[in-house]
Amino acid sequence: MKVFVYDLEKCNGCHNCQIVCKDEHVDNEWLPYAMPQPDTGQFWSKVEEEVCGRVPHVRVNYLPVQCNHCDDAPCMKGNPAVKKRDDGLVIIDPVESKGERGIVDACPYGHIYWNEELEIPQKCTGCAHLLDDGWEVPRCVDACCTGALRFGEEADFADELKDAVVLGEEFGTAPRVYYLNKPERFVAATVVDVYADEVVEGATAMLQRAADEEVVSTGETDEFGDIWFEDVRPDVYRLWLKKDGYLDQAVDVDLTQKDCSIPELQFFKQPVKA
Amino acid sequence: MSNGTRGETVFRGISWSAFACSANTACVDVKDGKILRIRPLHYDDVTTVDQRRPWRIEARGKVFEPGEKTMLPPLSLSYKKRIYSPNRILRPMKRVDWDPEGERNPQNRGASKFEHISWDEATDIIASEIKRIHDQYGPYAILCQADGHGETKVVHAPHGAQALLLDLVGGYTLQSRQPDSWEGWYWGGKHIWGNEPVGMQVNQRNLYKDIAEHGDAVLYWGCDLETTPWGWGGEQPSRMAYFLEDLGLRSFFISPDLNYTGAAHKGKWIPVLPNTDAALQLAIAYVWLTEGTYYKDYIESHTIGFDWFERYVLGGEDGVPKTPKWAEGKCGVPSYTIKAFARYWAKHAVSIAHADGGGMIRSPFSAEPARLEVVLLAMQGIGRPGVGQLHLIEFGQFGFAEWNPMPRSEKYFEVPGAYHGWMELLDGHPSFIPKTMIPQALTLQEGEKLHWHGHGVCTAPRSDQFIPFEWPLDDAPYIHMIMSDSPSWTTCWNCGNAMQDALRNERIETIVMQHPWFENDAVFADLILPVNTMFEEKDIAVDNWTGQFNMMYIQDDCIEPIGESKSDWECAIEVAKKLEKFGGIYADLVERYTQNMDVDAWIKAGFESANVDPSLMTYEEFAEKKMCLAPTAVGWEDDPVALSAWYEDFSAQPMQTPTGKIEIYSTGLAEFFPDDKTRPVVPHWVEESDDLKERLSCERAKDYPFLMVTNHPRWRVHSEHDDITWLREIHTCKVAGPDGYMYEPVWLNPQDAGKLGIQDGDIVSIYNERGSVLGGAIVTERIMAGSVYQDHGARVDAIVRGKGGLDRGGANNLICPLATASENTVSEATNGFLVNVKKVDVEALAAQYPEEFSREYQPEDGLRVSAWIVDEDQ
Repeated sequence: MKVFVYDLEKCNGCHNCQIVCKDEHVDNEWLPYAMPQPDTGQFWSKVEEEVCGRVPHVRVNYLPVQCNHCDDAPCMKGNPAVKKRDDGLVIIDPVESKGERGIVDACPYGHIYWNEELEIPQKCTGCAHLLDDGWEVPRCVDACCTGALRFGEEADFADELKDAVVLGEEFGTAPRVYYLNKPERFVAATVVDVYADEVVEGATAMLQRAADEEVVSTGETDEFGDIWFEDVRPDVYRLWLKKDGYLDQAVDVDLTQKDCSIPELQFFKQPVKA
Repeated sequence: MSNGTRGETVFRGISWSAFACSANTACVDVKDGKILRIRPLHYDDVTTVDQRRPWRIEARGKVFEPGEKTMLPPLSLSYKKRIYSPNRILRPMKRVDWDPEGERNPQNRGASKFEHISWDEATDIIASEIKRIHDQYGPYAILCQADGHGETKVVHAPHGAQALLLDLVGGYTLQSRQPDSWEGWYWGGKHIWGNEPVGMQVNQRNLYKDIAEHGDAVLYWGCDLETTPWGWGGEQPSRMAYFLEDLGLRSFFISPDLNYTGAAHKGKWIPVLPNTDAALQLAIAYVWLTEGTYYKDYIESHTIGFDWFERYVLGGEDGVPKTPKWAEGKCGVPSYTIKAFARYWAKHAVSIAHADGGGMIRSPFSAEPARLEVVLLAMQGIGRPGVGQLHLIEFGQFGFAEWNPMPRSEKYFEVPGAYHGWMELLDGHPSFIPKTMIPQALTLQEGEKLHWHGHGVCTAPRSDQFIPFEWPLDDAPYIHMIMSDSPSWTTCWNCGNAMQDALRNERIETIVMQHPWFENDAVFADLILPVNTMFEEKDIAVDNWTGQFNMMYIQDDCIEPIGESKSDWECAIEVAKKLEKFGGIYADLVERYTQNMDVDAWIKAGFESANVDPSLMTYEEFAEKKMCLAPTAVGWEDDPVALSAWYEDFSAQPMQTPTGKIEIYSTGLAEFFPDDKTRPVVPHWVEESDDLKERLSCERAKDYPFLMVTNHPRWRVHSEHDDITWLREIHTCKVAGPDGYMYEPVWLNPQDAGKLGIQDGDIVSIYNERGSVLGGAIVTERIMAGSVYQDHGARVDAIVRGKGGLDRGGANNLICPLATASENTVSEATNGFLVNVKKVDVEALAAQYPEEFSREYQPEDGLRVSAWIVDEDQ
């Protein structure tokens, strides 16, 4: 059984996967696997992006998405036009599915598109027409330059998949598309002694969860006064700063909705007694 | 793989240097006369591993290898849509109100429509116009623009096929193109450390391996390796950056925008206001000077003039010490960050990476930050292990192996014997005009001349910059006719609005252009010839630009020419056929031009000019296999690292400067331009000049309080690709307006957007005295406050032409400064200029300009040529 594995740390956001899917399927008919994809508006492979943080602590997260070729695919239920292949790919028969708009609605991910002109539901086929003709991988995988997107036997990826996540786990559809290094939220700050006009290196930073006061992460500010806590679960926290000779500093950070950047976190020296 | 899904496979380089050097080698699958797909070439499909001898870079326990396939960018993979674009010019076209026998109506260029004419009629007109201009004014009255941004072809060269023809009948006036993507290096870098012909560290030999082994950090200084290299060599630089990160090197992104490199890679972003890098650089030097953290012995032995620099930085010259606090006020980087950065740098082995472009190098006074970067690198001992200036684009450009940081190939292919274009050479064209001065040249008053220094072409040496020139030559005519290919001056050069005015000057009697698509300057033509895309032509190609494997190959034509299009070379032949009927100097012109050689014969000539060792491949094998791949050179590991010998002893590997040292006091500038305040002998912060007032400190900034970032575009190569439907769907490519028009994105920081009352998705105008261009707002933290970002090169859609005009497409080169970046250069200053931004009501604009706003337009692909053709039934 095949899987798609995206390593998001290696995804450079070039959109090649999105583009070559169109190169393969727009204006090309691959019956019995697929009818042509409309020129625009459908994205059997799609790169989503999200800009997080504030200047100067900004990250861009690219997230390529596609049909998850679920083992327990809602689109298959009660729809004989949708079939699971032995290799795990889910294919919508382009002839049998004519008029079956319910197939589009069945997908909790929104990865099935309705072709108005042909009156058929359409989505990623895993380029099954190529695989069955001896090609090694689908077009999107072939076009990926950085190795962020791979395709192959599940067993060959077993070691890596232990740390992988799927999208929409709560849908319970057993997706066959896995993601490595999917970022959670971050807290970033530049710690500055504004009176000295210097960044503060070597301050201990602790991230304490508000709900139970557990310290979930600790670190030290670097040569730039920067502290980055990565992959933090969405929640409410208190960021503590401590360093000898400085007053302890605490800032509340709310990561429930978005990442947090503190461009200039002021840190004060203990007053010197006369 | 069977032929069922694959079709017939053709090799093809899909890149846009537009000279004879291709890249982005692809496999194009063709079936039943149609292009099925464009995909990467897998090296195993054309060679064995033994034949290739792939290099291995081992560093810190990890291995980097060239990869199994070519690293095509989306610009190549989506190109099918460009080939079949509805905006293709399919037949010759003539402007309806341009009558070569009567009224020419030059004032209507860019506004009036066209009618289709036959090839016969079109070439009759062109030939008789050339003859008439020759008789009436002489050959120098014809300006050839033979360097626009276009496709890369060799036999069918889009760069000057027509110029080569005119060379055979008395010559022409050449538009001389300067290095638009590395201006500061050329006009500044060369004066401080030579490094011909680029002005950057051109000896890159084994530099990547050296940095992988010994480096601590890479500064991507205005460098977007995830964008600029795409059109010229694909995505290999992306893999290179990831590998360095894997090894634990730190990445720094220094630019006003978190560009696509900062988006894809992890590191520290140091936002710096557009074109204020020189202030940041000076403050870093200040920290090193005052803290004594620089290579003093090296400065003593390897450089001259450091004392002048030290005096300036410390305030001895002007009473202003260039402290971090001083710099903060100019560049927007907090002084505490500047100090921390300077200290980190002084303690580590730090390299700086560039990939052409980058704001500072294309901005006013660009020679200053270029030279200051060299000073900083010198202060930290450039040439020592892990410290270099890394070049991440166009590996092996100019055909010399050192200009490639990756392991050396056994062969760098060049095929001048097949090339029909202009080669950016100096000789043979006494009458030439720098490209940046064309608008002035076209509109000179009777009796006036232009004066400047240097040919400006990218191959010219440092000393060429001291030669004074003038135009027109004595007793030579002004320009009365223009012949252009790949016409994109207004979209890519300095102050396109001035050019739009110049093109409507009544002295210009005839403008002939040839291009595949009806875009940009083409709208201003009188007569247009339809050119085909590279996919419709058989040609030869070379690809030296990836650092993977160098290749030379035959590119079969994939499809029949679309419409009545012909290649640029064939267009020139058609004109030659008509010209030779006039006899005299025109006699036998076709034979003289083609040398009685067909495309295959030219390909063979190209192969022969490449001087391939027969043990690698003979022509017979090449003709059969169509692909010649050069293996990695044996013994590449033993090549000395770039500047290592220089580091040990400057005289062992001197710089190409008069003293052989890094000339912080540039002796050439001191001799020829001692009083030039816009490019002083020792690099300075230049606030403003008589011609360029583009700083936030300038009086103009009260009206135009933002600094503009105009990067090389992410989803185009300059002004190409703007009609590709699949790219236009990408979030950062276009912004949909309420009127259905897809506007060019404008990035605004939320702070600025808030002050301006602009929200994400609003349509805005970016403007200054030179005009305004529209765009769609993206309110984002990817741009620092005080800066406005819009990629350059969006397709022109002129609502009001000329100075003070209005462009709907967002072609911001229209509103760049016209003045050159410093007095004695002919460099463009197309980034880091002042603008203001305001929200606009597109419905009100549409009511004001109903005709212009109702041109035929499809959101998916944009403007279409059909909008400009009169109804032929009438």
